[in-house]
Amino acid sequence: MSLGNYGRARLRSGLTTAGVTIGTALVVLLIALATGAEDNVRRSIFSIGDLRLVTVQPFQPGANGLSAVPRTITDDTVAKLKGVAHVDGVYRQFDAPLGMVVEGGDDATIRPQGIEPGAPVDRGDLLAGRHLEAGDRAVAVIPGNIARLVAPTAGAAIGRTVTMRVGGAVKLGSTRIGGSGTPRDYAVKIVGVFDEQASQTSFRIPLDDALLAGAENRGLTPDAIRETTGYSGLAVEADDSINVADIVKSVQELGFSSFSLKQVVEQIDQGFGVFRGILAGIGGVALLVAAIGIANTMVMSVLERTREIGIMKAVGASPGDIRALFLAEAAYVGVFGGILGLALGLAGGQLIDRIIRQLNPRTNPAAIFVVGPELALGALALALGVALLAGFLPARRAMRMSALSALRYE
Amino acid sequence: MNAPLAVEALDLERTYASGHATVAALAGVTLGIRRGEFVAVMGPSGSGKSTLLNVVAGLERPTGGTVRVDGEDLAKLDEEALARHRSKRVGMVFQAFNLLPRFRVVDNVALPLAFSGVPAAERIRRARAMLERLGMSSRAEHRTNELSGGELQRAAVARALIAQPAILLADEPTGNLDSANGAALIALFEELHAQGQTVLLVTHDAQIASHAERTIRMRDGRVVDE
Ligand SMILES: Nc1ncnc2c1ncn2[C@@H]1O[C@H](COP(=O)(O)OP(=O)(O)OP(=O)(O)O)[C@@H](O)[C@H]1O
Ligand SMILES: [Mg+2]
Repeated sequence: MSLGNYGRARLRSGLTTAGVTIGTALVVLLIALATGAEDNVRRSIFSIGDLRLVTVQPFQPGANGLSAVPRTITDDTVAKLKGVAHVDGVYRQFDAPLGMVVEGGDDATIRPQGIEPGAPVDRGDLLAGRHLEAGDRAVAVIPGNIARLVAPTAGAAIGRTVTMRVGGAVKLGSTRIGGSGTPRDYAVKIVGVFDEQASQTSFRIPLDDALLAGAENRGLTPDAIRETTGYSGLAVEADDSINVADIVKSVQELGFSSFSLKQVVEQIDQGFGVFRGILAGIGGVALLVAAIGIANTMVMSVLERTREIGIMKAVGASPGDIRALFLAEAAYVGVFGGILGLALGLAGGQLIDRIIRQLNPRTNPAAIFVVGPELALGALALALGVALLAGFLPARRAMRMSALSALRYE
Repeated sequence: MNAPLAVEALDLERTYASGHATVAALAGVTLGIRRGEFVAVMGPSGSGKSTLLNVVAGLERPTGGTVRVDGEDLAKLDEEALARHRSKRVGMVFQAFNLLPRFRVVDNVALPLAFSGVPAAERIRRARAMLERLGMSSRAEHRTNELSGGELQRAAVARALIAQPAILLADEPTGNLDSANGAALIALFEELHAQGQTVLLVTHDAQIASHAERTIRMRDGRVVDE
């Protein structure tokens, strides 16, 4: 039999339920906000690159900014890396000096990037044509913006031969810089056009072409460049992103600095963990206040109903029955408050989302508040748990009350 | 007849520590009540009548001696079992009625069954039948605050009998009733007794005790005269 609340007591349980509702709603809102922010950041990172990738840089490990100590990446390095466990592929890259596409005029500044066929950078972003292939010479895969400088459309640029000038003065934005070495022209055939979102200046050309251009710019042979200057970088691909950390370690042991998105993501995850923790903490304080409210309501309820507890015990309620009665009441407040709080949190999130978008129509279209099933269930469980915890002591007090003294209570 | 006695007490003691002194509310009570008997307990205030009844009811544990109710040694029962004893083996009627306020009469009568696992519909059905038997059908749906004293005590008797207890216990049940209602209640007890119900009634009214088959007199925690 349920011993419902009435009158004054009903008002009090209503207020207590409201406390749980607000606490739960806050927890839901704040965690949803943190999750939404994290999702946004992650999504933009995932769109840039592949988490299986480790980039080897021609510096000693620990290098950052101006303190970088150069270190030469040679074919010996490549061979060693190919022997490292979980390495699926090693792609060499050599950046020739900056230059321009003569037909494109002053604005067609380019960065000739010598890469190997199938390199991670040259995958799946074509607007027209094809990627680089084995055996290619004197060809280029170019960004859409450059293609449109030399042809009406990206598609129309395919098959055209343009003059790639390497070295010499180039225009960077509105400034003209001296550039390196003597400018030298190379005729290259455009075989592919990629979406310039990846880069507006990168000219993907065969590795050997880039080495030759770099060598001729400095009056050297390609072999001398390979041995003294070395490659600009290596793209090392792991068989699985979970092995990235191991590969990073091997790279550092070989004496090179490395970069991996995986590690950036891990750092971001850590950062967001803290962020989410802080927000959840704020919501948690609200729930704690609600818990104190529940405990207070229950203590009052136990006192107020002392005689009733006595009567129930006198006619056969066991200590467990009495405890269950009060815990059920607390659970009811917790579940009811939790469901209302979840609904309020969801509705509040939508409302805030709509208001933000109305105030600033250019807001990132991704959801600002993200409530997954874990968060929804977790919030309900939390509300129930907090309510039961708050109800525990008063329930125990009711349970331990002696029937006779409870009956004498006025 | 080898059937167990309804109540069997041997050197029953119950002492209370109050401050430095100890009060022996029961100072060695030995008595037996046969099944189907209607027994009254009389004695001056403070003689231990209520304590005796509370011990038999399982509301209070004795500090010495033994007490068996319907063959069950109460000292051997843990809290859970004692609660079941209260809900099934005995039915208690108090001077102060002790019904749950704001609840329907029928819910109050059904209450003991709730603690012995009887399904809700069955509880209500049995409670209505019991109210019918005591001539209280018309009051079943009323809240307890809408009843007269006599009706309240009748509802309390219905609640005490709902689980068909081995013994009906009543501690000054007429104490809050006027003489007419008191007489009607005693008539009800006599009727129940005639139907075979064992009744143990505490009173200090000789007039009321005279309706019982037998009177036990107590003084200073002892039985002085049977
Ligand atoms: N919980 C208690 N704590 C201390 N002393 C108690 C307690 N309950 C009863 N007593 C004492 O035990 C003695 C017997 O009490 P009891 O209530 O059994 O008497 P009674 O015969 O029912 O009296 P009355 O006719 O006044 O109801 C009294 O002296 C009383 O003060
Ligand atoms: Mg008494």
